[in-house]
Amino acid sequence: MKLDPIIDVPLLNRKWLPVGYAFFPLPIFILIGSVFINLDLTDYVLDIGYGCWAAGFLILNLTKEKIEDEMIKNFRLQAYHTGFFWLLSGMTAIVAIKFASSFWGASGIPISATLILFLLNAYIFFAFQYQKYIAAKDSKTT
Amino acid sequence: MNNTLKVERAKKDITQQDLAEEIGVSRQTINSIESGKYVPSTVLALKIARYFEVTVNDIFELDLED
Repeated sequence: MKLDPIIDVPLLNRKWLPVGYAFFPLPIFILIGSVFINLDLTDYVLDIGYGCWAAGFLILNLTKEKIEDEMIKNFRLQAYHTGFFWLLSGMTAIVAIKFASSFWGASGIPISATLILFLLNAYIFFAFQYQKYIAAKDSKTT
Repeated sequence: MNNTLKVERAKKDITQQDLAEEIGVSRQTINSIESGKYVPSTVLALKIARYFEVTVNDIFELDLED
């Protein structure tokens, strides 16, 4: 069945996998580099970390599998569904804790757009990998 | 959904990998279908049936939970 081009999400070639993984150590190199050029990034450390990891997970999530069959597509759909649900649950919990802790003057992790992007992409990634792991484990035992 | 995919495969003496390659899916997908953990789409069910030269009903049947 052909999807309408407006809602179809094209997947990246597998050559993008190393690019995705390269984003994970990138914040360390950026921070080391900033020391050498005397650039003060103290206020942006969290955003740089979350932003790079979000980009890494996003690329990994959008990269094709070796065999893109209908079960993998099904896993991917479920991963986005589950990831979104985990994000909403986690965000609700964080907001509730922040709200409750504000009564005794404590402050938790600051919620930013990069944190939300990071969490959403990470949840999708792990939900997808978990389903693949279960399928692979079952096929080894039979 | 119950299926007799394993039986059909045994009759033809082919492995999960052979079947997977023939119909263009992964071996894990064939294994998941055989173990009832994944219900294939109509298109995939028809491809499997065509490969074994039987009807979809000969391989797949609804169980009480469906």
